[in-house]
Amino acid sequence: MMRRCVTAFIALLFFAAPARADQLVTDLSEHQIAIRSNFTGTEILLFGAVEAARPGSRALNRDIVVVVQGPARPLTVRRKEQMAAIWVNHDSVTYPSVPGYYAIASTRPLEVTATPETLKALRIGIENIDPGIPSARAIDGTLQILPPDEERAFWKALIRNKRREGLYINVPGGVTFLGQTLFRATVKIPANVPVGLYTAKVFLLQEGEVVDTISSPLYIDKRGAERFLYRMAHQDPLLYGMIAVLVAAFAGWLASAVMSRR
Amino acid sequence: MQIYLPIAELPVSILTILAMGVAVGFLSGMFGIGGGFLMTPLLIFLGIPPAVAVGTQTTQVVASSVTGALAHFARKSIDFKMGGVLLLGGIAGSVSGIYIFKLLASVGQIDLAISVIYVLFLSVIGAMMMVESVQAIRAARGGGSAPKRKHHSWIHGLPFKVRFRRSKLYISVIPPILVGYFVGTLSAIMGVGGGFIMIPAMIYLLRMPTNVVIGTSFFQIVFVAALTGVMHSLENQAVDIVLGFLLVIGSVIGAQYGVRAAEKMPAEQLRALLAAILLLIGMRLGYDLVSTPPDLYSVIEAEPHS
Repeated sequence: MMRRCVTAFIALLFFAAPARADQLVTDLSEHQIAIRSNFTGTEILLFGAVEAARPGSRALNRDIVVVVQGPARPLTVRRKEQMAAIWVNHDSVTYPSVPGYYAIASTRPLEVTATPETLKALRIGIENIDPGIPSARAIDGTLQILPPDEERAFWKALIRNKRREGLYINVPGGVTFLGQTLFRATVKIPANVPVGLYTAKVFLLQEGEVVDTISSPLYIDKRGAERFLYRMAHQDPLLYGMIAVLVAAFAGWLASAVMSRR
Repeated sequence: MQIYLPIAELPVSILTILAMGVAVGFLSGMFGIGGGFLMTPLLIFLGIPPAVAVGTQTTQVVASSVTGALAHFARKSIDFKMGGVLLLGGIAGSVSGIYIFKLLASVGQIDLAISVIYVLFLSVIGAMMMVESVQAIRAARGGGSAPKRKHHSWIHGLPFKVRFRRSKLYISVIPPILVGYFVGTLSAIMGVGGGFIMIPAMIYLLRMPTNVVIGTSFFQIVFVAALTGVMHSLENQAVDIVLGFLLVIGSVIGAQYGVRAAEKMPAEQLRALLAAILLLIGMRLGYDLVSTPPDLYSVIEAEPHS
């Protein structure tokens, strides 16, 4: 028994050693982004290095793919149809977990980086986001089954919408190598980003196969007055609403007081 | 200069918002209306989520109607009794309006409902006012008297009659309560004070004298809008205090100039101008309802419970 274990261990060592591949070391310029009243969007810098298994060896067909993904939430896509000349929201599809933000940058366009199957399996690329099992509803709220091509149209519309808002970003060539091992990528964070926990994932691919991945967290949250007001609006909505109304009423009174003074 | 709005969750230009406040405030001071029906579409156009636009708009309505009500209080042109009766209906209407808003939002038809209601009321009221003011202008030019309003209608047959001294009326409380309820509901759904519906309803339906109409309308709008604002923040967390504050500053400044501008214009022409504005906005929104939208698909956050 003991002997067998030792043999297995030695075998493991023997086979594992040559399999040790290139490794990633990465970091973000910021791990926290604070949304204050002057927030108009920002950029984060992701940088890192590839530690080659055999130093000095020239790496060919080596690719880096960076995926920054925001917190997932359920989203509904609605399609308008013309009823009696008026455009009315008709069919809808709800996706249970759609990332609020998805940015992808790569050294080369994704199509030449890896096969579509690999990309799909790793959920790399905007088209490969997994939104969970969609549920389609008719105008009266009853569940219905849509043909696959129609359902795809809804999904495409969601992506189109998010791209338009600058929340889904695809930058082929957004990762640049500085020399043999160092690389950097800048990722745009628009002003309308949802708050929450983000993950920045870096994939190292060699000949279209993933060699190493590393993921680091990024926290985007409101700070200062923004945070205070937002929390108050959600935790103490009655007081918040009353303050909002009283401030407005006071402003109205002040205006008439100033006017009548003249 | 940009400022990030904590509830709407996007940055806006401070100057744009202030300018919008001034412009809408000017019109509201000029015509004696809250200006909500102008502001809400403008905010939505800026990219503010419709729910936040409607909720926040109420604070601007509160501010401008407080200013208006105080001015009319000084002139003693408020019928408090009538205002109170309208308010009773208005409170009930506002509460039910909030729930209708939530219901429509959950079935995805709130935008459509808001647009359809706007188009209907803006065009009907705009057309009525236009016809009436054109007749009045013509009558004034021709030297003849304006067409007399008929004084007896089905309204006078209703029970619970009360004397409203300030309005010189002896009518049932049912019509004013219903008017208040109806306007309260609409104002909660549309994020407006409802003055542009309330004033014609008071003149044409309740037959109140014109000199107390605007003050009384302002008086009851203060309370209905305040309640609606609190309800919106309670039920939908949709009042953005920063946005509201900017709008209020702009509109109280604009309103002062609007009041002065109105003093230099004859009332009939003023009314014709307001009618033209109502009709234009109504037509614009109506066009949006029937023209093919640029993207047939829209994305919104799903309701947490569905």
